[in-house]
Amino acid sequence: MVAPLPVAADGQGSRMSAGWAVAAAQAVLVAAVAPLLLGFTRAVRARLEGRGGGRIAQPWRDLRKQFRKEPLIPADAGVFFAAAPAVLTATSLMVAAAVPYLSTQNPLASSTDLIVVVGLLLLGTVALALAGLDTGTAFGGMGASREMTIAALVEPTLLLSVFALSTRVGSTNLSAIVAAGTTDQARVFSPASALAAAALAIATLAEAGRLPVDNPATHLELTMVHEAMTLEYSGRDLALVEWASAMRLTILLGLLATVFVPWGVATNLHPVAVALAAALFVAKLCVLSGLLAVAEVFTAKLRLFRVPELLAGSFVLGLLAVITSAVLA
Amino acid sequence: MSGPFHTQLLNLACGLFVLTAVGVLWRRELSALIGLLTVQGVALTGIAALLAVDVGSGEAIAVATGVGILKAVLLPLLLRRVLRRVPEARETAPLVNVSASLLAAAALTLLAYAAARPLVALGPEPTAHAAPVGIAVLLIGFFLATTRRRAISQIIGVLLIDNGIAAVAFLATGGVPLVMELGVSVDLLLAVLVLQVLTTRLQAAFGDTDLDDLRELHDR
Amino acid sequence: MTPVAAALGGAFSMAAGGALAGLVTPARWRSAVVGAATAGVGIAGAIAGLAAVSGTGWQVRLPDLLPLAGVSLTVDAVGGWFLLLIGGVAAVVGVYTVGYTGQTGHGPAARGALALVPLFVAAMLLVPAAGSVSTFLLAWELMAVTSLLLMLAEHRHTPAVRTAGLWYAAMTQAGFVAVLLGLAWLAAAAGGESFDTIRDRAAQLSPLASSGVFLLCLAGFASKAGVVPLHPWLPRAHAEAPSHVSALMSAAMVKLGVYGIVRIAFDLLGGGPRWWWLLLGALGALSALYGILQAAVATDLKRLLAFSTSENVGLILLGLAAAGLLAGAGQFTVAGVAVAAALLHAANHAGFKTLLFCGAGSVLRATGTRDLDELGGLSRRMPATTVLVGVGVLGAAALPPGNGFISEWLLLQALLHRDPAGGTTLIIAAPVAVAVVALTAGVGVATYVKALGTGFLARPRSTKASDAVESPPTMLAGMGLAAAVCAGLAVFPAVTAPALDRVTSGLRVGSAPMQGGVDLQLAGVAASISPLWIAVGAVGLAVAVAAVARTTGRTRRRAAAWDCGDGPLTARMEYTSTSFAEPLQRVFDDVLAPEQDIDVTHPAESAYLVRTVEYRRRLPDRVEARLFGPLMTAVSSIGQAARGLATGSVHRYLAYMLTALVAVLIAGVFR
Repeated sequence: MVAPLPVAADGQGSRMSAGWAVAAAQAVLVAAVAPLLLGFTRAVRARLEGRGGGRIAQPWRDLRKQFRKEPLIPADAGVFFAAAPAVLTATSLMVAAAVPYLSTQNPLASSTDLIVVVGLLLLGTVALALAGLDTGTAFGGMGASREMTIAALVEPTLLLSVFALSTRVGSTNLSAIVAAGTTDQARVFSPASALAAAALAIATLAEAGRLPVDNPATHLELTMVHEAMTLEYSGRDLALVEWASAMRLTILLGLLATVFVPWGVATNLHPVAVALAAALFVAKLCVLSGLLAVAEVFTAKLRLFRVPELLAGSFVLGLLAVITSAVLA
Repeated sequence: MSGPFHTQLLNLACGLFVLTAVGVLWRRELSALIGLLTVQGVALTGIAALLAVDVGSGEAIAVATGVGILKAVLLPLLLRRVLRRVPEARETAPLVNVSASLLAAAALTLLAYAAARPLVALGPEPTAHAAPVGIAVLLIGFFLATTRRRAISQIIGVLLIDNGIAAVAFLATGGVPLVMELGVSVDLLLAVLVLQVLTTRLQAAFGDTDLDDLRELHDR
Repeated sequence: MTPVAAALGGAFSMAAGGALAGLVTPARWRSAVVGAATAGVGIAGAIAGLAAVSGTGWQVRLPDLLPLAGVSLTVDAVGGWFLLLIGGVAAVVGVYTVGYTGQTGHGPAARGALALVPLFVAAMLLVPAAGSVSTFLLAWELMAVTSLLLMLAEHRHTPAVRTAGLWYAAMTQAGFVAVLLGLAWLAAAAGGESFDTIRDRAAQLSPLASSGVFLLCLAGFASKAGVVPLHPWLPRAHAEAPSHVSALMSAAMVKLGVYGIVRIAFDLLGGGPRWWWLLLGALGALSALYGILQAAVATDLKRLLAFSTSENVGLILLGLAAAGLLAGAGQFTVAGVAVAAALLHAANHAGFKTLLFCGAGSVLRATGTRDLDELGGLSRRMPATTVLVGVGVLGAAALPPGNGFISEWLLLQALLHRDPAGGTTLIIAAPVAVAVVALTAGVGVATYVKALGTGFLARPRSTKASDAVESPPTMLAGMGLAAAVCAGLAVFPAVTAPALDRVTSGLRVGSAPMQGGVDLQLAGVAASISPLWIAVGAVGLAVAVAAVARTTGRTRRRAAAWDCGDGPLTARMEYTSTSFAEPLQRVFDDVLAPEQDIDVTHPAESAYLVRTVEYRRRLPDRVEARLFGPLMTAVSSIGQAARGLATGSVHRYLAYMLTALVAVLIAGVFR
């Protein structure tokens, strides 16, 4: 059961360049939509909680404001602190370009796969954790320590989900997985897929630092994880970190949407198909982030030492997904 | 009428069946455990009903109905009544912590899968492929009963074991005779009623329902 | 004369020359001369390995060199791969040694301690070149003895070195006995001691003989490779040895344990029943998980690296076990991927572990401590070392675009692409192995973030760290070489494809189906990545983002970090490595079983106020305590009991000997 790699191998230059254009368009789309999606999530949440809430474009305004302010760097921090925002942003942009959100004819598909995507996201996490340690404050160290603990425990779930997803097409190649999903509906709605989706959803919450693993709105030292690492950032550095974090949420939600509900993803590079795919992609993101907001209204943050239980649960889901795919294969 | 849709539904029911078992290990609130048990009862009924429709015999449909009434309605109701009488609402300190329990559940599921290979190979029906699910639930139920302190958790473990056995019987043989199912059901009902009495007595004697307290009786 | 012969000849003569020079050169030049000679031995060895993996093997028998058996050398592709690996490590360490041992003339720079370095390297080169049982055993013992003596170089200063030496001596000799018994059995059963003869007759061995040989050799080689539960010597020896020796031991010598397993199980015995591989995989999984968990909570930098060696060997064994299982199930393409993953990971580990042990040596030399809780702030004081260690950390944490990532990717591909029709064992073992690899990788990332973040970044936590100065250029050059190799392996792993292909074909487990120049593609398995693209993309995009932000935004200003309005922050407020690892320690409490003590003292006025809080934590190695504790008690009680035999009377001892001699002769008569 070896799926052929959907590489643009016919050597047509124009086709290649169209592919690159789509990859770049994806990165731009994710970068542009990410803060709006954050604003949308906050707005839905505020409405459900009976508050007025900010506008959907508010995160973009915040980014613009922060970008104009003067960035400060702690007296004892070094190059790791200074470089982390750029590394985090770069890894997010790379993943945004490489995942076949819009078209399965992505020229980066043969260069990356799901494991690389997991690795790149982890690289961003590590950059931020090192930056947190580089500040020399207790907050930074605390955030880094907690973030790395969670990241370490999420890894088995992530890779088992990758396993379950790749078993059905015989490849970890993302384009192959999505392409198989668009053509074979039965595969999308198999029990293995549902279990893998549940496992990956929990992993997404942990990776993106959402409730119940981390509260993105808190600045209480007892509970901070992500915010503790970024506490010393200001000005353009903070803008980059916040932007990249928003992109990570979009990337992960988009991954869930594209892998488990692959309808609408173009299988060619026709501009109309790609535009339609973009519209559907944004719509799917809105639904998912709306669900996220609803879930967050009804969930409290878990104690840090209860998080392993949650992740152990998601690990079991991932394992069941793999076993189910083997049983029903 | 075993079309792909039918198979999908059966798979879904089996998935729900094992997921609820994992959920029982995951959650601490006793009321949530009863809720999960109810869902599992519904899933088991679903399995029985789907198979009954497949076979098309009146007896099988009667069994499915009986299972539904007992597992999804009667037993949860009884458990809720017990729960109302005791003050503690949570499984506070299980003998094996929750994360380790979940990992154990994963290991038990793998074991169930490996052990069920001959059964799957023997089974005439394609539904036998899902038989490991029943064995997994059986093992998880045993694990629950072994490692939890509260009387209610333990009886839920016993009920999980029974659900698992029933699921294996349905899936591997395509149905259970009505008489057998009736006998098992009456046994179960009796067990829960005994538990109800026991919990009340424990509550009166020790002030909680930690079954480890029973060791004190030994010393006297 | 073939290139392999010339290079190996050069290596051994340079080793002899270097050893001699080490003994006679004055202290001022000693390190430079011996370092250069070691690098030369390494380069020659690497050339021999390169020639062998490019297809020109070599075989020679020197019957007169040793009595009875003679010396027999055979260099094939498998041995060549390990020659290349050891040679590369030695070349780097040779350069590093020049600066590390310096001109002091004592300790690791003493005559004997330096003269042994090239000899140790030569002994290691001899092991994969051995072509018969007796030559192999000779080389193995030479390697063990030279490494033990080297490890003890600093025994006068620290008592811990003596304990470590005792552990190492005992375990390496026990391992040698196991290997000796195993190989002797093998040679006897096969009716010949040259590897060629054994290989030809392996199919006729009884299952009992082949399994017995496998188990004995596995025990011996696993203890050399630091596989849990035979690992207790490793964190001690690698931590206490001088750092250049640690690098040689951890990056090169440990791999020879892997070589032994590969040579015996795959090559000479030609594979075996399924339980062999399940046992090997279980050992690998145990090593990987236990090793990385101990590394995660270690505060001694070199102990951390040593436990991480156990972890990486575990991953390599997982790859080998997967290969054995897959080949047994007839899935040769994927089995080839698994072997390639294991061997590539061995090379990658050699690269980044050399770099990291050298980095730890630089830190130790500059600060005098290996305790991460006392370090910090080195990124300003030792910027070049920090960057080089950063490259090593990227590889060791298996993050893209590091070199460790590539081999873990290959390993995962091998595990993911097993054919589900291959039986229950594979269906169950593969996801478990993936979970083990994933958890190991995750905890590994946390471990190395801890090592780099608390060891090198932020403020120094002690005066030792604040007084640190950058290392001399030769040390940096050595580390730079290792970093360049790591980067090369990370960006162009496909260059190893032809060599790995030859090695796996030599092992008869299918060919390593790696292809491609820029992209790494696996033929017959739908998987490909482009390490170059990932590296260039990550670095290029990061630079671009930073440049855009810098040109369009305002410039940064240094300011005090937020101190909650409570006066200036001190280094005591920083997270230490102990506190960094505390959440992980808590999560894995049941596995690690730490011993913790918290003492709170109160002032006389009130028991509600707190004057001091004292926290003590000890993390004893549980496997060691449970397994070796009882063993040592038993051994010492036997020793106590046997004291009655040794009264001090010479006559009595002579009587023992006479009795033994007579007994043997009588046994011979009645046989």
